[in-house]
Amino acid sequence: MSEHTTLRMEGILKEFPGVVANDHVNLSVERGEIHGLLGENGAGKSTLMKILYGLYSQDDGDIYLDGERLDLESPQDAIDAGIGMVHQHFMLIPRLTVAENVVLGEREPATAFRSDAEDSWLPAAVRNNSLVQSLAGQFSLGLDVPEQRIQDLADQYGFDIDVSAKIWELDVGQQQRVEILKALYRDVDLLILDEPTAVLTPTEAERLFDSLERLTDEGLSIIFITHKLTEVDAIVDRVTVLREGQNVGTAEVSSVTRAELAEMMVGREVLFEIDRDAVDLGEPVLRARGVEATNNRNIEALSGVDLTVRQGEIVGIAGVSGNGQKELAEVMAGIRDVTAGELLVNGEDITGAKPKTFVDSGVSFVPEDRLQYGCAEDLSVMHNATMKDFRDGRFGDRPFLDYGKLRDYAETLVDEFDVRGVSDVTETKAGDLSGGNLQKLILAREIYRDPDLLIANQPTRGVDVGAIEFIRETLLEQRKAGTGIILLSEDLDEIFDLSDRILVVYEGEFVYETTPAEADRERIGLEMTGGGDDDGGEAETSPPPSGVTQGSES
Amino acid sequence: MNVAVTVDAREDIPVWLAYGTPVFTVLAALAVSAIALVVLDVNPVAAYATMFVETLFTEFGLRETLTKAVPLILTGLAVYLPLKAGLFNIGAEGQLVAGALAGTWIGLNVSLPGLALVPLMFVAAAVAGGIWAGIPAYLRAKWDVNEIITSLLLTFVALEIQSYLLRGPMQGGTGNFPQSERFSEAAMIPELLGGVHAGLLVAVVMVALTYVLMTKTRLGFEITFVGSNDEAAQQAGMSKFYVYLFVFVVGGAFAAMGGISEIAGAQGRYRAGFEPGYGFTAIPIALLGRNSAFKVMLAGLFFAVLFVGGSSMEVAFGVPAALVEIIQALVILFLITAEFFKSYRVGIDIKRGPTETPAQPQRGDD
Repeated sequence: MSEHTTLRMEGILKEFPGVVANDHVNLSVERGEIHGLLGENGAGKSTLMKILYGLYSQDDGDIYLDGERLDLESPQDAIDAGIGMVHQHFMLIPRLTVAENVVLGEREPATAFRSDAEDSWLPAAVRNNSLVQSLAGQFSLGLDVPEQRIQDLADQYGFDIDVSAKIWELDVGQQQRVEILKALYRDVDLLILDEPTAVLTPTEAERLFDSLERLTDEGLSIIFITHKLTEVDAIVDRVTVLREGQNVGTAEVSSVTRAELAEMMVGREVLFEIDRDAVDLGEPVLRARGVEATNNRNIEALSGVDLTVRQGEIVGIAGVSGNGQKELAEVMAGIRDVTAGELLVNGEDITGAKPKTFVDSGVSFVPEDRLQYGCAEDLSVMHNATMKDFRDGRFGDRPFLDYGKLRDYAETLVDEFDVRGVSDVTETKAGDLSGGNLQKLILAREIYRDPDLLIANQPTRGVDVGAIEFIRETLLEQRKAGTGIILLSEDLDEIFDLSDRILVVYEGEFVYETTPAEADRERIGLEMTGGGDDDGGEAETSPPPSGVTQGSES
Repeated sequence: MNVAVTVDAREDIPVWLAYGTPVFTVLAALAVSAIALVVLDVNPVAAYATMFVETLFTEFGLRETLTKAVPLILTGLAVYLPLKAGLFNIGAEGQLVAGALAGTWIGLNVSLPGLALVPLMFVAAAVAGGIWAGIPAYLRAKWDVNEIITSLLLTFVALEIQSYLLRGPMQGGTGNFPQSERFSEAAMIPELLGGVHAGLLVAVVMVALTYVLMTKTRLGFEITFVGSNDEAAQQAGMSKFYVYLFVFVVGGAFAAMGGISEIAGAQGRYRAGFEPGYGFTAIPIALLGRNSAFKVMLAGLFFAVLFVGGSSMEVAFGVPAALVEIIQALVILFLITAEFFKSYRVGIDIKRGPTETPAQPQRGDD
């Protein structure tokens, strides 16, 4: 065993009723490295890390940190041992400042209750009583925040964060750095990042990677949970691959190819190249002319968009997040009102109609935010699988509804689209499915009704490799069946692989059109950031709107 | 001595806990109320025995209980249905009053044979209650005005209108009491077997209809979906506006039927303050029974037992009637607390002396 090894997890076994989540997994991490933990959704990555962070306790196996055996019963134990974790969904309080959020988990009791406080109004005997201390620690909070110390810490690692700013004022990337800062403030040596880029735009992800490099230079070790191979290439030193709860190997990233990693992850060969047969284009299914719309804050987000989509055509829309993609998708799906312009679906003008009209005209929509628009997470898979089709006559005559048939239909979707993790369609809640499986379920619902127009906004975001492949193939199959598809994606590869036509959106307008065959990536990149204008000099000084608008304040 | 208090979120809710909560809630409320009984120098066991035996196993008690259950079940449904769509109808009381007033006016001023008059009274009541509930629903659906506040405040409006009518235009009978004229025989709801008025039948039918609505119809599917995620529901083409309006208007109609049942079935005339806040009791009823319309019915029956049993306790032991309110309040408090314990596990660790670390066998000797 190398002398640089800082963390060793040996023979970790964790069983849940009916599943072995971790089957005698070994993992060792060296000091100062970024160690990737790669695997499909449900491969046991999160479970392993939750054990390491004290959220679960293992059924068997041992954890050693710097040679010392750890007995972790709670995250507090893990933090005390020097292990920090940044969750995928931030645990920040929007209305508090950065500094307040950083100290929040520390549970410093209010000044009066501290045993070392000099000017407390409480007698020392009371303060030092263990029961008082325990209660004060649990129920009071000292807010005399050491802001300067936190600012110094942020500066030390090159985080450009103003620690007196409120969380809601920050964009998603900055919020994530606050989460990291929280861990650093607790003086951790090992930092676990759970799919940190899932919520970031590509630019923000780049910045995160820079920060991580800084951290490892300072001697921290990082475990980077991901299912994106590009990220493994970009940042990880060594990678451990998990599949179905087992460790299938650890490798130096420099010595393996992406294809090999993908095969380790999925257990079979993964096709990165997708065969795209030529499909004859048919009638236009969508014609949008001069469409204008505003975003949620009533600021113009679309300024005159013309778009025609034909049967059997995939139109890929590329752009930096926040340039009107979300609004464009919602307008086409009929859930956002247009302020000007017209929308024709199959030749019929349905501008300003209700969402139901859009649904009934054969428009399907895979929304960007699965939990907001895509499903009701507290309802069953059956409810979610049938949320558009339940009105159909085959499920019973109005006003009645045959739940038995709904159930059969949901089971068909689950089978045909290989949605995993469903034990009973009427019992399993949509919110209990993993991201990839939930996305498959949503896609199944939208595609199985054989739509004329499909709007897919970020269909593969936050989804594992196996599911990505499946989703892309499904989109291509649907294209062959004659559906016109609008694909909005921040993943340029995806746009290139799937699209017949590529449009670049910038500040609510299409600024460039090309085809994958003729496209020049650099040109597209330039157009995405507004640099492709003839008067290109100006673009340098006006960066695109950052991700602030889609910041998660939930 | 070290004391540590920990509060952890549960990963899963155990089945026994999920299903046992209503039972534990009720038992715990009764147990705590026993303290009040002991303070009043009453044997709680004897008191509870009286309470439950008198209400369920004597003919008179059972009749009283079932009669009381009618408005409780119907107002319970009035809260339950909006709850399913994610809305809180706190104003069932006002809808009940509005409906009772409208029904009473028909009963006093229209002369028809009973077979036509009573249904007409029900229809009038339902329309008035529906309109009364429709106001907060429309405000919520159209402009997102908080329905909790509007429905509650409209209750006070309804009560003031009641006050005015019973002291003014609708005042009747001997003396100068705030009450209406007595109903004619035709305006009284006929009795079923055993002396309970036919309002019970109405309540049971409404429970069954609500059950069918929620489990067998498209609209029920939409209500469930809107109640769970209204944005996804709208994306799928469902109408939040329609669903919100529907659940409130129908809920208001239910509450109103409860009101007119009580007056034309049990009271015989509209008396100000004829009912002890059924519309508010409906809230814990709907919360206890929120999983199904039939559970609402059971919860309504349970609260009827509390009401009637409370009165018999009052008679037998001289216990103040307020005790029943204490039990009800405790049921609500425990219900809320139970929600917390359902989702969190609380551990209290008390260790004496210095903390010892048990010697760990060294494993792995590198």
